[in-house]
Amino acid sequence: MTGPQQQHMATPPGRGIFDPALLDRCISCGFCLPACPTYAVSKNEASSPRGRITLMRALETGRLDEDDPRLREESSFCLGCRACEPVCPAGVQYGDLLEEWRDHQWRGRRRPPPAQALMMIAERTALLRMMGLVRRHARTAAPAQTSLMLGCFERGLFPGVSRAVRTLLPDIAVPPHQGCCGALHAHNGESEKGRELARTLGETLPGTIVTTAGGCAAHLAGVLGRDRVQELSEHLAKTGATPVGEVKIEGRRARVAIQDSCHLRNGLRVFAEPRALISAVADFVPVQGDDSCCGSAGTYSLLRPRDSKRILAPKLDAYEAAGVDYVVTVNPGCQRQLHGNLRRRGSAVHAVHLADLLAAAAGGRPLPRGRRWRVPQVRVNLRRRLRRRGASGGTAGWSA
Amino acid sequence: MTLDRKLVAELKAIVGADHVRTEAGDVEPYARDATPVFRAVPDAVVWPAETEQVAAVLRLATERRVPVVPRGAGSNLCAATVPERGGIVLVLTRMDRVLEISPGELLARVEAGVPTSVLADAAAAQGLLYAPDPGSRTVSTVGGNVATCAGGLRGLKYGVTRNYVLGTTAVLPTGEVIHTGGRLWKDVAGYDLTRLLTGSEGTLGVLTELTVALLPMPATTNTGVAYFGSLADAGRAVDAIIGDGIVPATLEFLDAKCIGAVEEYANLGLRLDAGALLLFGDDGPEDVVDRNLGRIGEQCTDSGALEVTLAENIARSEALLTARRCALPALSRLGTLTLLEDATVPRPRLAAMVDRIDEIADRHEVPMATFGHAGDGNLHPTCVVDQRDEAAIHRAHEAFGDVFAAAIEMDGTITGEHGVGAAKLPYLEARLGADQMALLRRIKAAFDPAGILNPGKLGS
Ligand SMILES: Cc1cc2nc3c(=O)[nH]c(=O)nc-3n(C[C@H](O)[C@H](O)[C@H](O)COP(=O)(O)OP(=O)(O)OC[C@H]3O[C@@H](n4cnc5c(N)ncnc54)[C@H](O)[C@@H]3O)c2cc1C
Ligand code: SF4
Ligand code: SF4
Repeated sequence: MTGPQQQHMATPPGRGIFDPALLDRCISCGFCLPACPTYAVSKNEASSPRGRITLMRALETGRLDEDDPRLREESSFCLGCRACEPVCPAGVQYGDLLEEWRDHQWRGRRRPPPAQALMMIAERTALLRMMGLVRRHARTAAPAQTSLMLGCFERGLFPGVSRAVRTLLPDIAVPPHQGCCGALHAHNGESEKGRELARTLGETLPGTIVTTAGGCAAHLAGVLGRDRVQELSEHLAKTGATPVGEVKIEGRRARVAIQDSCHLRNGLRVFAEPRALISAVADFVPVQGDDSCCGSAGTYSLLRPRDSKRILAPKLDAYEAAGVDYVVTVNPGCQRQLHGNLRRRGSAVHAVHLADLLAAAAGGRPLPRGRRWRVPQVRVNLRRRLRRRGASGGTAGWSA
Repeated sequence: MTLDRKLVAELKAIVGADHVRTEAGDVEPYARDATPVFRAVPDAVVWPAETEQVAAVLRLATERRVPVVPRGAGSNLCAATVPERGGIVLVLTRMDRVLEISPGELLARVEAGVPTSVLADAAAAQGLLYAPDPGSRTVSTVGGNVATCAGGLRGLKYGVTRNYVLGTTAVLPTGEVIHTGGRLWKDVAGYDLTRLLTGSEGTLGVLTELTVALLPMPATTNTGVAYFGSLADAGRAVDAIIGDGIVPATLEFLDAKCIGAVEEYANLGLRLDAGALLLFGDDGPEDVVDRNLGRIGEQCTDSGALEVTLAENIARSEALLTARRCALPALSRLGTLTLLEDATVPRPRLAAMVDRIDEIADRHEVPMATFGHAGDGNLHPTCVVDQRDEAAIHRAHEAFGDVFAAAIEMDGTITGEHGVGAAKLPYLEARLGADQMALLRRIKAAFDPAGILNPGKLGS
């Protein structure tokens, strides 16, 4: 059919896999194409946000069934980075659509086994605590207005991060019995379970929840409300705290780049805050692509290691070409991805979490040293490492 | 129609197995472009990497009588890339290199799949301006822009894409590679095939390489906003500005509904009680820009503007232009199906045409918002309805039919910049008449004897 006849066809009702209000929003304008990392590497529209939404629509109307190989492939090739959201002028909530898609596409035994395994671990609070016991992370039970949320895998992999936060925010409560926030589940086809875990964690953690994991922050904020949750840099910015000290290398200020956390940037629109903090203690170096996904993407680097590396490689090249000393991360997944892969390259660039950078600037634990450099010890009184901005200033520390 | 396996194997031999797809899920995303409602599934999607591959694919397609639809970014708004008769969608996005920027000659050479903004940035890096500036420039390809003769936000002073195409490398449907024009500003050897290919909507040849003219980058750019009680007042202001001898780079308008939608989306602090907004901008030496914007402001005030303000800095100026660029998607938030048209009238009749559009919308009981390029008389009446409301969709199309008729009556046209594609082909004869339609078909047949290139569109 061509021409006006065809124009009169209305859209048929769907199968109920997707919320029609979400799916109808896309006008297929294509503005999201240049933002999508998987489209950039494939140049195939099926691997673009617009193409994936077209595929979702085909699934919804029954034109394609869930066993279609392209549907299966794209549901997992998508990083879930949500870079397509801020650029979408029509306000398509792609992240929500992806959750609905994976809920259906990855239900039951269709779920990739490694994702299943990780979710099972994350659901077991006891196991997570044990991971914490083996490698000591910060712990306190003091009640407070703000609580620190420990990313489940972060506590085992990077226990130093939460300790660094404790030196920056001495008054923050760090309840030991924390479960998983459920982001992992939400992104792997179990969005209801993901919401349930978030609600439970919300009950466990009193007051404002501060987290060092951008991905967890976005998920928690989505379930518990934007005002309950603050990522670390956001919290510091909101409370008006100014970092003190400097990170120096051989007498000069360190050159520091950033790797944004996708969900922090694209979901919560927090990206100016960590940059401002870095600029306060070092020379901030903007690097082309520092705002795009590093390929860690939750379980992605486990499920699709080759694609993950393909997306990461040009970014690491860019960081090295920029000649930076450190790349700051604001999410444990990114930290793991960058840390491991930079090390494998024998790179002189080190990945450090924002909390580590700030703590080191203030005289805390020194940062790992590069091949060519010595990291000098900056001696600053830990008690007076922070200065509050504004008229009310006077008390030390970051917390409100 | 499905392609036989032998043909698929031959296509794979030409471009590589990874660059030919035929499975249902693989071709589905290429069933449509940015045009709502139109949809037709291709049999194969092919991604060539060089001119020779394009030629080999087209030779094969002509031999086997298989339709081929060239495609850039698929951002067109007239169903120009919807494969109405199936066949092959030939995607040029792998050919995305800027080949040369020549500041001495003020030109650039690019492959057809380069995004418009990549070309513009590459030129800007050398202090040069690529003037055509379609709202879709971050997405659209230069090949697609040339094939649709895209306009943009600077059309009044700088013209449209056509004014910047110096030369093309094009592959004919029968497989010959031709080079039209070149690096010359003056060249009258033969029919002007460069111009003929410009705006040919992928029906005469596949563009693989383009040589385009650049300009020195203007020293400054600034933008201002004037609010009016009604679009008719804004229309009068446009006449007064041009009557005063000023041809600003940008002269765009939004009606009240558009202002509301854009403000809702972009939070720019636009004034919501106004009936119309006129966005004006100019570029050039600082004193000239200041003087021109000052005079434009005065003309607006004299024409009854409620308020005139100039952007205080570049960021604000960019924000205002962004507001205009996002008018369409912002409107789309009001419903689930956004139908947009592109009628154009001689500039002095802009206000009269807007009145006609309002009258037509009322008569057909459809909500219609209008924005567009005031300086070019190019209107984008837009209708946002519920995509499951068959009756409303029908009424909207009836209304658009009347809008086209009204435009033609006012010495205007059915499309100013979006093109004909499959969407407007049924209205084309009303604009061109039977004799021109017949000539178009003969031209098409001369280029494409087998009728394989983008059939069901221009020239069909
Ligand atoms: C939000 C939005 C705003 C827009 N704003 C404007 C605007 O301000 N001005 C304007 O003019 N348009 C505008 N457009 C329409 C559209 O972006 C333009 O028509 C653009 O030129 C299309 O480029 P493309 O690369 O997407 O081409 P496509 O949509 O892929 O193709 C368009 C046509 O060109 C043909 N074609 C593409 N590449 C080639 C090639 N290499 N060789 C031969 N034929 C080819 C196709 O067959 C088709 O007929 C807008 C669209 C959107 C969604
Ligand atoms: S930018 Fe938004 S509306 Fe446009 S195609 Fe992408 S998701 Fe759809
Ligand atoms: S979430 Fe990221 S990878 Fe997935 S479609 Fe959006 S931009 Fe592309």
